[in-house]
Amino acid sequence: MAIACPVDLDTQVLRSEVSKVYSRVANDPNGDFHFHRGPAYAAQFLGYDPVELAALPPECTASFAGIANPHAIAPILPGETVLDIGCGAGTDLLLAARKVGPGGRAIGVDMTEAMRDRARVSAAAAGLTNVEVHRADATALPLPDVSVDVVISNGVLNLVPEKEKAFIEIRRVLRPSGRLHLADIVLDAELGEDVRRNIDLWTG
Amino acid sequence: MSFLRDLGFEDVHVSAHFDCFHGTKKESTARKYGVRGANVFARKSNRL
Repeated sequence: MAIACPVDLDTQVLRSEVSKVYSRVANDPNGDFHFHRGPAYAAQFLGYDPVELAALPPECTASFAGIANPHAIAPILPGETVLDIGCGAGTDLLLAARKVGPGGRAIGVDMTEAMRDRARVSAAAAGLTNVEVHRADATALPLPDVSVDVVISNGVLNLVPEKEKAFIEIRRVLRPSGRLHLADIVLDAELGEDVRRNIDLWTG
Repeated sequence: MSFLRDLGFEDVHVSAHFDCFHGTKKESTARKYGVRGANVFARKSNRL
């Protein structure tokens, strides 16, 4: 993962463009995008359990746009507190909520209002009372130190320009021995500065 | 993954890769830059 961001990249513009794209995904999941979406993609490309996906509200899974599978990395256990950074419409968040059960917590943060709304509605439709969704971005998590057992994130941190800040926040909120289940983009080689400065390549 | 270890994470490893751009409009761009989805595990040190 490329950590360094060009110093003159306008991160507010980048945040705004990312939010615009994912607002469209939330409001029009069948629209024209440069990436796959939906439960069939999640099952066929990323190994998600189709039975687990079918048990979630379709308005949640239709907007799924992850790029790997944080639930396949290691178990999430009953009673744990899970944080989903960039929870989107809630597919990974609600799957985590089912795994931690009523004694656990599934906390989602997302900077896109349309996605947060969809995640909340979907949690209610699924009858899940252990889900909370907050407005935040990865560089300022609204959680106390050492309060989380597992951090998951799917296709989000590659879009964060201040990656080191984001990972320092993840380290802050995780309990000692807490786990990071990171689903994200990896590259075969470091990108050149001109590529990293191209906002179109960040957002597609 | 060295940046995660530098931040105090342990047992850092990639457990799977995914060709998540296969069949999309960005497939050729993804191939050009060697972009793939990946599952990465890391554990915060119990000394932090």
